[in-house]
Amino acid sequence: MTGSNTNEFLRPPSEQEFDPVCRESSHYNPLDTFRLPSGQDRHYKQQYGDMYFLRLAKLKPAVEEIAVEAWEGFSIAGEHARRVERVLDVRQGELCWVAGTIYMDMPLKPNILDDLTKENYTLAPPPRPTYQDPSHPELTQIMLEDESGRLRLTGSLLRSAQLCTGAIIAVLGTENSDGDFEVIDIKVPDLARQPRRWERDGVDAQKEPSKGKIAFVSGLGITGTSSDTLALELLTDYLLGYTGSTSAGSSGDAPPDASAITRLVIAGNSVGASMTVDANADNGAAKKKSGPKKYGYDASAYNASPITRLDSFLAEILPTIPITLMAGQSDPANFSLPQQGIHRAMFPQARAYCAPPPAGEEKQEPGWFDSVTNPWEGDVEGWRLWGSSGQNVDDALRYLNLADDQGNVGDGDGDMEARIRVMEAMLRWRCGVPTAPDTIWSYPFQTHDPFVMQSCPHIFFAGNQPRFKTAVIEGDSPLRLNGADTEMTGTDDNNTSGPHVRLLSIPKFNETGELVLVDTETLEVEVVKFGAFAGQQEKQ
Amino acid sequence: MAVADYKTYLAENVLNERRTVTYRSLGRALRVHVTLAKQMLYDFHHSENNKKPNSVNATYIVTGMQKAPDSTSATNGAGDSFDSNGIPQSSPYISSSMPNQDTAEDDIAISSVLLVREEDLEDAKSTFQYIASIHVYSLQAAVLQDLNVLTDVNVEMMANHAQEDPLEHGKTWGMIQGKNVRRRTGGRPPVPAPTPAPATSTTTIQAKRPIKMEEKPEPKAETEEEAAKPKPEQKSKPEPAVKRDDTPASSKPTEKTAPPKQKGSIFSSFAKAKPKQKKEESATPTTPAVESATPSGAEDAVFLGDASDEDEEQELFPDSGKSEPSGTRETRKEREEKLKKMMEDDGMFYFYYEDEEMPDAAPSPEEESKPIDEPPPKQPEPKEEVTVRGGRRRGRRQIMKKKTVKDDEGYLVTVEEPSWESFSEDEPAPPPKKKPTVSAAGKAKPAAKPGQGNIMSFFSKK
Repeated sequence: MTGSNTNEFLRPPSEQEFDPVCRESSHYNPLDTFRLPSGQDRHYKQQYGDMYFLRLAKLKPAVEEIAVEAWEGFSIAGEHARRVERVLDVRQGELCWVAGTIYMDMPLKPNILDDLTKENYTLAPPPRPTYQDPSHPELTQIMLEDESGRLRLTGSLLRSAQLCTGAIIAVLGTENSDGDFEVIDIKVPDLARQPRRWERDGVDAQKEPSKGKIAFVSGLGITGTSSDTLALELLTDYLLGYTGSTSAGSSGDAPPDASAITRLVIAGNSVGASMTVDANADNGAAKKKSGPKKYGYDASAYNASPITRLDSFLAEILPTIPITLMAGQSDPANFSLPQQGIHRAMFPQARAYCAPPPAGEEKQEPGWFDSVTNPWEGDVEGWRLWGSSGQNVDDALRYLNLADDQGNVGDGDGDMEARIRVMEAMLRWRCGVPTAPDTIWSYPFQTHDPFVMQSCPHIFFAGNQPRFKTAVIEGDSPLRLNGADTEMTGTDDNNTSGPHVRLLSIPKFNETGELVLVDTETLEVEVVKFGAFAGQQEKQ
Repeated sequence: MAVADYKTYLAENVLNERRTVTYRSLGRALRVHVTLAKQMLYDFHHSENNKKPNSVNATYIVTGMQKAPDSTSATNGAGDSFDSNGIPQSSPYISSSMPNQDTAEDDIAISSVLLVREEDLEDAKSTFQYIASIHVYSLQAAVLQDLNVLTDVNVEMMANHAQEDPLEHGKTWGMIQGKNVRRRTGGRPPVPAPTPAPATSTTTIQAKRPIKMEEKPEPKAETEEEAAKPKPEQKSKPEPAVKRDDTPASSKPTEKTAPPKQKGSIFSSFAKAKPKQKKEESATPTTPAVESATPSGAEDAVFLGDASDEDEEQELFPDSGKSEPSGTRETRKEREEKLKKMMEDDGMFYFYYEDEEMPDAAPSPEEESKPIDEPPPKQPEPKEEVTVRGGRRRGRRQIMKKKTVKDDEGYLVTVEEPSWESFSEDEPAPPPKKKPTVSAAGKAKPAAKPGQGNIMSFFSKK
């Protein structure tokens, strides 16, 4: 096998006929969960407080249901745990439980009130590695909040628990003499209901199992210079089907056949460093003095090459593969979550594959090239995907005390593990972006909080992570009415076992050169790595 | 079939012109399948180096599975198991889960696609546990110092073959075919790109897929054209409107329908400054003549969006405001007529244009109609009368002077008014913004340059 494949290309030209290779078709059904109203319907004057109330109203029943199940009849020394409706109704010395929103007050967390009092306005504060102050851990306060007030939480449990602002939890404990609430146990809403595969597509979409794969990539980081695009070229070649053997019989060790990939999901940060700043810093001097500013805009400071390069990359692979492009932190889209899709006008070549602009109200078919929001939710090959470009994970990590052991933050396996744990916690909080609107900028939603997960995805991914990591989490099995054990080992996995979620932390492509492939039948994950071999030239 | 020619092609490009040829650029140039192109490269490399060692250098793509203990793959999350590495289970309420992580971690297959130089090939091979395929990626005359130059080859190739529709030719190249590729059809009237060099689109494709025409250079070139000749465009507007009335106006994408108004105002800002003078100075016969003389159909399509009659009329006098009532417009036309008459015998007419002597039925329509975002209206250039007497240059020139006066209601009002100032040779002459009227006819276009430069740089790529 090895020999024949190797020799396929290393031989004189043959008169061989080449059959066209066809890609599997993609079943794609995005959701508009994070699409903001356009134009005049988008307002920014509302208060953010409503989002917390909406979130609490939505998730409190869920967490209370779990808490009732766990804590009903719970007693310590003969005292039964009592359910308290509002945090202000907690009485000192009384064993009780209550549900609310976590609010964390941390020394290094950006605080709008501080900024106002100091008259110190910055547009976007520089990101900090953590909001904790390692030398003063006692300054971090965790509070439970609802519409009535706040209750400071304390107890050894909190030190190990992962919490961040915005999570909805239920706590069991007593209020001590200081007025703090001693936490004995914590419950979270846990995974939402997971839809069956193909649920939204109807039964007819369920075809015979196809050997498809969904490809994920993030952080292409295109800067427009030639130095960052070699891996991108190799990726292009691979997706177009030029790389490797096209003949049958590729075994499991070879890179998977690209024709099996039915869709490419680009999870943010496709464009590298900021387009305007760099131009100023690097080649501002080299360029001739620009003309006068027209309309207050210095055209020479704008460097279009990253986006044109991205456009040509997209236009090159679009003829063969459908793409879902999510906006990311460094992309030319709005900054606050949910980021709306990068406008197709940015892609003069690739937009030919877009859906036509919406005409009227009717729902239209998604385009072959779909520029979507961040976060984004949708069905691909029947599976529900929920993903972000990584801001949610990055920000939630800043609430967690990661510097415990070695004192260094954000490296090594511990960091990656924490990232996966944060992702899991988000699923169990049923909130994909808990720290919005506190420390992630967000649109002030008034009627609903889209960051609350209505249903549990099958694949939950976060882009632009330092390294690739994956895990599968399981929820509790749903209640069975007959409750017989034999039923639990039944054959129909889809319906009787609890939800399984594949977590993916997608690395930055421009640093790792890695493309993540997920099998559409088994949700197994593979990685294809692109790069150049560091040979003697580089070593010199 | 071009197979026989490949040696000539490669010899010419690689050996003579010392270019880098990748399998893709070869495949595109000769219109052959990539596999065949890879074989051609291999064959050429082999035979040339047999003739003369080291005359041709190659890079290879090696695919397969790299050995695991390699430090890079260990850090890629495939190495450690999830729960056993000493990190405490941090959250009690989560501990019920994650049973599958160990197994999930272990069977992550990491395959690699590596680009390798010829001389490193054996080293690279030794890092692989399993090699699925090796093929030649590129050939060049000398060792590549920097592999990144290969991307330039591909960029160049893409530019050279930009007009080939990948949907049609993909099969020849061995590209994986997407079954359900959808491209936007219709919806937008075909906008022929005003073709900067490589983007020449064949007419067949144009006809079949109008949307294909949205080539990259289009928006830039479009504006370039706009800026270059604002006048003819606006004048010729009515004509293509008739010509294209079969294209449904409603089908225009939103992104295009939005701008026309603003565009108008941008033009009027140019038009106000320069082209008007052109018209007046050069005393071009009448506007309709210009209209028919400039068939600039290509870029007109862009503006046509909602070109109503009203718009057309306005565009004939681009310096008039949008909101101008028709009555004023009439008087303006009269004024224009008078101006033209005056212009015949008086080269300096255009100063009077803003002067008090004008029959000023409509109180300065420019001012009332000025869009806010326009740059301040250009003042008429200072005029000078120069007399050269005895080798000395003396004369007076008209300049605009700012005067601040308190008006009846006690407000301070700043007015600019023309006044005369005499000067002599020792004073540096003000930079001649205006050339003598003789060359005025030919001048209007160059004069529009600064404007063009600005708009261009707005869209220009770096």
